Amino acid sequence: MLRDITLGQFFPGSTVVHRLDPRTKIMMVVVYIAALFNAKSWVSYGVVLAFLVFSIAVSRIRLSAMLRGLKPIVFIVVLTSLLNLLYARGEDVIAHWWIFTITRQGVKAAILMAARLIMLVMGTFMLTYTTSPIMLTYGLELLMNPLKKLKVPVHELAMMMSMALRLIPTLIEETDKIMSAQKARGAEFDTGNLIEKAKAMLPVLVPLFLSSFRRADELATAMEARCYHGGEGRTRLNVLKFARRDYLAFAAGLLLLAAVIVLARLGL
Amino acid sequence: MDEPILKIEKLSHVYSPGTPFETTALRDVDLEIYKGEILGIIGHTGSGKSTLIQHLNALIKPTSGRILLNGHDINESKQSVREVRSRVGLVFQYPEYQLFEETVKKDIAFGPRNMKLPQEEIDRRVMEAARFCGVEEELLDRAPFDLSGGQKRRVAIAGVIAMMPEVLVLDEPMAGLDPRGREEIMENILAYHNETGAAIVIVTHSMEEAARHAGRMAVLEHGTVAMSGTPEEVFSHGEQLRQMGLATPVMTDVADKLCKLGVKLAGTVYTVEQMVDALMALEGGRRDAS
Repeated sequence: MLRDITLGQFFPGSTVVHRLDPRTKIMMVVVYIAALFNAKSWVSYGVVLAFLVFSIAVSRIRLSAMLRGLKPIVFIVVLTSLLNLLYARGEDVIAHWWIFTITRQGVKAAILMAARLIMLVMGTFMLTYTTSPIMLTYGLELLMNPLKKLKVPVHELAMMMSMALRLIPTLIEETDKIMSAQKARGAEFDTGNLIEKAKAMLPVLVPLFLSSFRRADELATAMEARCYHGGEGRTRLNVLKFARRDYLAFAAGLLLLAAVIVLARLGL
Repeated sequence: MDEPILKIEKLSHVYSPGTPFETTALRDVDLEIYKGEILGIIGHTGSGKSTLIQHLNALIKPTSGRILLNGHDINESKQSVREVRSRVGLVFQYPEYQLFEETVKKDIAFGPRNMKLPQEEIDRRVMEAARFCGVEEELLDRAPFDLSGGQKRRVAIAGVIAMMPEVLVLDEPMAGLDPRGREEIMENILAYHNETGAAIVIVTHSMEEAARHAGRMAVLEHGTVAMSGTPEEVFSHGEQLRQMGLATPVMTDVADKLCKLGVKLAGTVYTVEQMVDALMALEGGRRDAS
């Protein structure tokens, strides 16, 4: 049952988007979000949407995967657009009922707000769907490198993040196994009220914690046995280098941002 | 052998059906487990052993087929599932990692407590299970995490035995223990078997262990029962077993090699004792001839 949780959002592939430098993709997401939040009108939204559709098409990620990822935010999208629909101020009244007034401006605000949220989430999916967790943390580490001057332990943070990501599937498997074993001894996890259910989790949590500590211990020993001593002087198997496609992507991203800002200036 | 206590009929199991990860773990498995027998299940990694045994107490539901406990489908109702959990005891691989209580006693009592038995009965069963598994009384009030590896393993097995199952299923119960620990665990299991007459199902890689204790063996390959029968019957197909990537007992190998060298031994040989007998018989035969 726990296997159903999709945590590995990464869909391996070999398209241009997949091969882009992770740093490029992270920065592109930032630029994309900036453009999205500067968009005010139908036209500028259209420009951002075109950009998004283009990158989805190039990355060959199936639309069903994109839509599945949207499920958790459906509630937020519906709520915000509903609030916008009902409370946006405007003169062109379309309908009026009791204390609610729906205006043309309200409808526009509701649609654009929903579009903004959906496009925001889809844009970030483009990053996580096409970048392996290892590449993602490596990219983040390199981008945060300047923070080392401020004594931020950048390498350690990145290492912790990649190890956490690496261990999630292992822990899920382990939880599954322990739950089965306790069920074999007559434990029931789906009966009783909330407190009983929480109590029933104890026989799973204690062994799970113990095995996590044991695993962490073993991992630390294994790393030290292979001479790991922090990021100092450590080299990489695959060194990231910006390629032509990265510069092209940057150019496209900046063009998008510029276009949106210009459109806003023109009042579109 | 009379009535089968557990009857597996045309059992198939498919993981993640309808997705790209679809895999068939079991295909049309028919197997019977009789009262009071010891059944050894052997098979290569990924042959479906673990999937099979988790069906035996309804931890996994069959994709098709059914499992009958004394003639009743175990997946019939919530009640029947609850019942089968205590009547068919399942010991997972490395069961010591499932200990969680503050004391050994409480941990062994977890199963009987879930069965909602009266307190005296729980206490009685804890003592009994501890005795079967050679868990000394002074250990009962200690924390399970202070014990040695072998002790923890025995406490974990006691936790399942305390439910007094009619069928005790163990997945690689001796994995990762030293020879002495293996011996002790096997003795504990046999003690429970001999005193209560419970059927024992042991999943193992080790042919020697299966050969020594099992009255019957079932060999799984690619989710089907490739062979079953007495150890003699199974080991007489030495070549076939090796093709499946399963090692035959050392003594069977020796006998096969002797055969190739022109020394024919009578019958199937798979333990040291049988080898001695077979060689003695041979020796005797030669002496007669000369």
